[in-house]
Amino acid sequence: MNPAVGIVAIAAVSVATAVIGFYGLRISRTTGDFYVASRTVRPWWNASAIGGEYLSAASFLGVAGLILLSGTDALWFPVGYTAGYLMLLLFVAAPLRRSGAYTIPDFTEARLDSRAVRRVTSLAVVIVGWLYIVPQLHGAALTIRTTTGLPAWVGSTAVVVVVCLTVVAGGMRSITFVQAFQYWLKLTALAVPFVFIVLALTDNGTPAVAAAATNPTGLAPAGPYQNISLLVALLFGTLGLPHVLVRFYTNPDGHSARRTTLIVLGLLSVFYLFPTAYGLAGRVFAPGLAQAGQADALVLLLPGRLIGGPAGELLSALVVAGAFAAFLSTTSGLVVSLAGVISQDVLGGSVRGFRLAALISATVPLGLAFMTDSLALAGSVGLVFAFTASTICPVLLLGIWWRGLTDAGAIAGMATGGLLCGGAMVAGGALGAGGTPFWLAQPAAWTVPAAFAVMILTSRATKKRVPRTITKVMTRLHTPERPLATER
Amino acid sequence: MTRIRVTAPRSAARPVLQSREAAEESAVGQVFVRSLIRSQLRLALVVAGGFLLILGAFPLLLAAIPGLAESRVAGIPFDWLLLGAGIYPVTGLSAWLYIRSAARNEARYRDLAEDR
Repeated sequence: MNPAVGIVAIAAVSVATAVIGFYGLRISRTTGDFYVASRTVRPWWNASAIGGEYLSAASFLGVAGLILLSGTDALWFPVGYTAGYLMLLLFVAAPLRRSGAYTIPDFTEARLDSRAVRRVTSLAVVIVGWLYIVPQLHGAALTIRTTTGLPAWVGSTAVVVVVCLTVVAGGMRSITFVQAFQYWLKLTALAVPFVFIVLALTDNGTPAVAAAATNPTGLAPAGPYQNISLLVALLFGTLGLPHVLVRFYTNPDGHSARRTTLIVLGLLSVFYLFPTAYGLAGRVFAPGLAQAGQADALVLLLPGRLIGGPAGELLSALVVAGAFAAFLSTTSGLVVSLAGVISQDVLGGSVRGFRLAALISATVPLGLAFMTDSLALAGSVGLVFAFTASTICPVLLLGIWWRGLTDAGAIAGMATGGLLCGGAMVAGGALGAGGTPFWLAQPAAWTVPAAFAVMILTSRATKKRVPRTITKVMTRLHTPERPLATER
Repeated sequence: MTRIRVTAPRSAARPVLQSREAAEESAVGQVFVRSLIRSQLRLALVVAGGFLLILGAFPLLLAAIPGLAESRVAGIPFDWLLLGAGIYPVTGLSAWLYIRSAARNEARYRDLAEDR
């Protein structure tokens, strides 16, 4: 494809993001803005914003790429990404909103009345955030290389620079409008080219989707263990993602937090139909990409391949713009929530501290991205979900639903889960994709139960440490805010 | 359009609404609170369990009935349709049922807590 088209598309999205970010800066200056805003954000806006932040490089590029590589096995990824929100709704949404905590460390500190638990939770949040940003930067590198021919590092650096500029200058501070806009941009960027692809294929007298079941790579199908372990990671990992949980605060009360999640589920369901469709179309019309090791670029290349001429170029530009929106929105959401945690816990919570923290939050993953190589975007994000499910998820679930949790139990459980899952990730990286045994490659099925078990057993052994505020905290988490006559 | 400012930590000590304070302090209030938490947890577990059963039944169904996975609806293989699109309505329906029942549990709690 024509490099200029790609560069224009990427520049347009970056400038639009920065402009909306700076525009927001001028109006939002006080803490009060945030609290007033929290009463006026409608569930629809909020849900679009959550969708905008959540749909990352893995969803936009990775899912279709993995479907191209491994067929129906990869369908568990979008299913898990969506079903994770169902678990969030069932076990976390309303109580977390009612806790009044803004970040996960705020929640664990208030629930367990312990600064030490806060520090361990903060550490886990920072690791999760950094690991999650790395695949976004890999995605940006891949997009730049495939669509413009520039060196790969330009892509990841561009994302970090745009995010740093907007966050450090004060814009982009979880501005609901920007994130909501980016959800709809991503959906449009996949849906419109797909409609044209379908039209073009029906005009040409399409070959039936007969070849869909054929396997372009010769990879062995995943066994039940891999699929179950993956589902455990995705189902339980979603409810601990820092940038997703922050958004629940903008709901006025627990009931609307639930309604927001319901809308998010709808938005995600609609969105994920398209990566699935691209993956299926890729298996039929572009199986060569899988052999060429370009599976993750499928979404970027398919419109240009199936629709030639200027129309194909325009549609490709739209897809590239959508992909960059995905990298920017997820990265900035993560950088904002990480910077909040780092500046409060390490740098004293000043505005200067926040800016410095934002720089640290964005540049560390950039270094990691330069040092590592991406094989499959959806796969590496799946590992981050496994880490979240082994550390943050147990402390949230037990903290919300079990009175017996103690600070010692929480720390021991998070440490166990973090060490086991982190160890599996490091070992997997050292052994390489070919040499890693299946139980190390997908560790969630044993690290998550281990973290829960250690957390429960240690809490039982330290019963005396159950905080005295427990009755008050549990009442606040679970009782409705205020009797509303209209709801009866 | 809405702007959000993130830096200031929200202190754990927030004013709690009147009715909640009453519920915390009295022994009877705590009985109601505990029963609310139990029914909400039971509801969440039932919905999650039901959803996971249906999710697990999909691949079993495909494995159990030979030829089903290869059969086609509008040219698309059935296993792709089932896993790629069929699961989303199940997710949405589970969520909707949960929200209705959770709100009903809360309404029941309010009735009890106020009639006291």
